[in-house]
Formats: sequence, C-alpha cells, structure tokens
Amino acid sequence: MTGTPVIQVDGLTKRFGQVTAVNNVTLSVTENKIYGLLGRNGAGKTTLMQLLTGQEFATSGSIRVWGEHPVENAHVLSRVSFIKESQKYPDDFKVKHVFRSAPWFFAGWDADFAARLIEDFRVPLDRRVKKLSRGQLSAIGVIAGLASRAPITFFDEPYLGLDAVARQTFYDRLLADYAEYPRTVILSTHLIDEVSALLEHVLVIDEGRILIDEDAETLRGSATTIVGARAAVDGFVADRDVLHRSGLGGLSTVTVTGLSESDRAAAAAAGLELAPVSLQQLVVDRTSGIPTELEQSA
Amino acid sequence: MDESRPIFVQIAEQIKNDILAGRMAEESQVPSTNEFAAFYRINPATALKGVGRLVEEGILYKKRGIGMFVAPGARQRLITQRREQFQAEYLRPLLAEASKLGISSQQLAEMIAKEGVR
Amino acid sequence: MSTPSITHRAETTGAFARILSVVRLQLVNPWTIVIWPWIIMGIIFIANLVIWWILSLSLGPEVIASEASGGGGVEINGGSLYIFIYMMVVAIMAMNLTFSFALGFGATRRDFYLGSALTFVLLSAMYAVALAILAAAEKATDGWGLNGHIFRAVYFGDGGFLANLWIFFVLFLFFFFVGAVIATVFVRWKATGVTILACVVALLLVGVAALIGLTNNWGTFAGFFVHWGFLGSYTWSLVITAIAALAGFFILRRATPRG
Repeated sequence: MTGTPVIQVDGLTKRFGQVTAVNNVTLSVTENKIYGLLGRNGAGKTTLMQLLTGQEFATSGSIRVWGEHPVENAHVLSRVSFIKESQKYPDDFKVKHVFRSAPWFFAGWDADFAARLIEDFRVPLDRRVKKLSRGQLSAIGVIAGLASRAPITFFDEPYLGLDAVARQTFYDRLLADYAEYPRTVILSTHLIDEVSALLEHVLVIDEGRILIDEDAETLRGSATTIVGARAAVDGFVADRDVLHRSGLGGLSTVTVTGLSESDRAAAAAAGLELAPVSLQQLVVDRTSGIPTELEQSA
Repeated sequence: MDESRPIFVQIAEQIKNDILAGRMAEESQVPSTNEFAAFYRINPATALKGVGRLVEEGILYKKRGIGMFVAPGARQRLITQRREQFQAEYLRPLLAEASKLGISSQQLAEMIAKEGVR
Repeated sequence: MSTPSITHRAETTGAFARILSVVRLQLVNPWTIVIWPWIIMGIIFIANLVIWWILSLSLGPEVIASEASGGGGVEINGGSLYIFIYMMVVAIMAMNLTFSFALGFGATRRDFYLGSALTFVLLSAMYAVALAILAAAEKATDGWGLNGHIFRAVYFGDGGFLANLWIFFVLFLFFFFVGAVIATVFVRWKATGVTILACVVALLLVGVAALIGLTNNWGTFAGFFVHWGFLGSYTWSLVITAIAALAGFFILRRATPRG
C-alpha cells in the first residue's frame, strides 16, 4: 500500500543569508497518513513546513502539493491548515474572533467539534489572545488545526506549554477524528516518545537535511543496543552501522542497526546483552553527531 | 506498548491472548481497528496491520461491511501453535541447560513433578 | 487525475468569495475598526461642545462666532483630524499582524491584499458618508447652535455636501493606503525597511522643495493649489494613494510572515 502522494519535494533548499535552514531535501508525503517530522530545535522543521505551505519562498528546488506549486495558490492553500507554534494574532483579537473567522477559510470546518474542543481544553473565549498563557495559545492552534479538517494539516510543536492531561487530550482527539475523517497530518515535535505510537511514517531532519524517511513500524526495533565486554562488542560490531558508542571501563555499549534473528542469536551466544532502542533514542543517536567523532578518534 | 518490537506485532499478540483466554469467543465480533487505535493510542494503520496479520493467519475473518470476527476453531489452532512455540522457546533451552548442568531426564522429570503443573 | 480539475474550476469562481472572507476577517472585531473610533469621536465632539458652551457663557456668543469663523484664537478644529490618523494606524495593524494570521488560515497574499484593500475602500466610504452628513448637520444647526467647527475645519474647505463627501473619501483612502504601504514595508524588511523608507521620503520631499526653491517656482507650486482649489488638490492625492496601493501589493506578494 503506497497510496497517492500529496506532497512531492525535490532538491529543496532554503537559505537565510549564510544559514542553510533546509538543505537539498527530497521527500514525498502520502495521502491520509500521520507523519512525524522529528528533529532538534533549529533543525529546520518550521522552515520546511513554511515552505510547504507557501509561507516561505524556496531558494532552489521544487515543491508540488497535489501536483501544484503551493506559493500563492489558493486552490492548494484553501485545503491546507498550518497554525505554527509562533503564530501571530491581531492585537485586538479575542479567542472568539479566531474561531468566528476560521470557518470562512476552511471549507471542512466543524463548529460543533470546535466547540467540544474549546470545552476540552478550557479555552476562555472572551479573553484577548495577547493575554493567554503559552498553553492556552497552543490549545488555540490545536483546536484550529483539528476542527479545520483540512486535507493536509500541519501541527508545529503543538503542545508547548500544554500539561500532560491536555497533551493526552490532543493525541486522543487527533486519533479519533483522524480515524473518522482520514487526512494527511504532519506533526513536528521533539517529544518523540509521547507521539511515536501515533505516527505511521517518520521524517527526521537535522541541520536542514532529512536523515530518516522511514515507515514508523519498520523503524521501531530497527536499532539495538549491545552491551558487553569491550573486545567482544567491538568484534561483533566491526562491520556494522554504528549509531552510538559509549563505554565504562572494560564495558562497552554500542547501538547498531539492522540485526537479523541469526545476528541476535550469535550475539547472545557470544555472551552479549541486547536491549531495544526506542524511537526517541534512535533519533537522539542519529542527530547528536557523536558516533562519527568517536569513530574517527577510535 | 513496549518499544522493542513493532506495535502491530504486539496488537496481534494481544488479540491472540484474548482469544486464548476466552475473552474473545469464536464467531464473536472483534473491535474495529479505530477502536483498537483509540484504546491503545496508536495509529489506525498500525492497528489495521496487526489485525490484518491475524486475518492472514486465519485467526480472524472479515464479514464485508460488518467487521472482523474470530474464526471458528481459532482458539484450538492458537493452542496448537503455542504448544509448538512452547517446545521451541522453553523446552529446548531448558533441556540444553539441563544437559550442560548434567541433569538427567529422570532427574528433570522429578524436578518438574516436584514443582507441579498448576 | 480528473477530479482535481473539477474542483479547481469550482474554486476559481470562488476568488471573490475568498477576498470577501478577508474583508470579514478584517471586520471580525468591529470594536477596533468602527465602535471605538466613534466613541472617541463622540467624546471629542462633546468636549468641544462643552468648551464652546463655556466660552459662549464667559465671552458671549458674538465673540466666539467672529473668532471661530475667522479662524483665529480659540478655534479648536483638530477633532476630526484624529480619525484619519487613527485609520492609518488601523491599516498598519491590519496589514502586519492580520497578514500573518490570514496566511496561517491558508489565505494567499494576493487575496489578503485585495480583501484588505476592499475593506479600506468600504471603510473610507462609510466614514466619508458619516462625516459629510455630520458636516452638513453642523452647517444646518449653525455649528450645533454654538457656531462650532469640528466637521467643517478650514483645511477641508466647505464646498457643500458632495464636495465634502469626496474630500473625506479621498483623504481616508490616502491615510489607509499610506498606512498599508508602511506596514508592508515593515512586514517585508522590518524596522530597517521603515527607517529607510522614511529617509527616502524625507529626501524626496527636501529634494522637491529644493528643486522648486532653486528654480524659483514656489509661485507655480502655490498656483497649482489655487488652480485646482480644495476639491481638485485633494483629488490629486489619489495619485499618491494609487502609488502606495500598488507598491503595497507588490511588496506584500513577496513578504513572509516571520516571528
């Protein structure tokens, strides 16, 4: 099941002066899947989403959303929802003005759903947006993103300032509504452990480059940490793709990818201990830049 | 959900356990993938993959337009399957370890009898 | 892929609907754009009335009458000017923060600009009609019975209802679109851009003044206004308004909503 691609990006680069925020990115987004766009702060997540929604202009490369340029394309943008984490609101706006105007821009806006979400997140409708707490501001973005039911919905770090209960509410409402109204969701986050089970596909971006573009289930359990005596571990991982290495005395801990069943048996036979690596740990290992340094010094 | 294995495998196992334990009777309808997704807080596609795996194995079957049902004879097949697994995953390592320690078949049988099977 | 082309056609006919959505967005909080300006206007008006009344009590109505109509000493007529400046600020806010917000809701820059421009034209018309009616009422009641001048300030001339209506209208357009172009410069190039814009405009004005002065053409310059009169001179502001409106459009088309 490959599905219809809704976004196709080819060789996309965005530079701000000397800084390359998005660096030669090529990827494709399939219809009606939930994507996780994972990466550290400043990795290029927001810039990439701004490019995909025509809010930023690309330096080079091509973007196709439903086969068309998104920039200044009402046909595309009217079906895209992107309330970014740093979204600005008009100074005089109260919360109710945000939700009063939303249906004029989103054909699929569900006012009843929005009203339920407003209750769930306890957002004060009569308060000025300027006066809201960080969490309430995030809640507005979450509500607008969910209730817009846009065929492509972007959530940019949607949980900032939300407490654990509100975050869980967001994940639950997202899943339930997605199940009922399938759509393409792109969720940027660095709270990977919390959302990893929601994702069908994972994109990891680091320093503007896509490091991982993989099915979430394939990725899960794709890396294993091996613990044991330094010599035994080093022997076992000699020709393998090493993600992370650390050691303590004669003990060595190495994270590798792509272990087969027979590899596991061999490791166990060699007296090595195997431990699973979570998606979050995998992303940390891939984006921390430590393995290459160590490998060079080793 | 534990992080080490694909979630769909864990979902499939969870359903199998429910059938084995009799919590899901044969010919009864199982929850929809969306219900599984909401309950376990996982992506519906993942739940579908887990359920799909059980359809392939003949544990569940699909009634068009209605939903998924536990196949007749599913429980028995699962028991057979688990017994084979038991032999491979528990018994053989047990015997291997026993021979390493010089425990004879006779002594092993006595040890098992002493522990007793509940 | 045949279905997208069908929806495409349906949505292209919705271009005006999308522009109207932006108009509605700009007007969603009527307090800022309609209600507050009139409350402030009302307060200024009442304050002026009170001052005129006190003055008429202490000095006698004849003194006020002669001084007010002569444009001397105690005349207070800045009241109606405030509303133009207020609308310039409204335009700056509408183009800056609302821009970022509208793009978050999937509006295009084009639809946003056209919708905002349409809002400005509608507001200009509404305020012009209201002010022209108030000016006519002021005239009919002999300055609210106190010979006051607030809606017929000298700088508007007083060429009758239609002339007032037109002058108010082009003046509102001027302030809205000058505000808009300042805001688009800010959105695109931030404070640096606005500073440079201010310097360029100041240099241009000084340059023009120097040119007129050096060529001894102040007479011709003044003659321009004499020739065109109040009505004609104000109408010429439409040239600047149009330049500002067009510049605003092209500046915003390449602007990005950044934090």
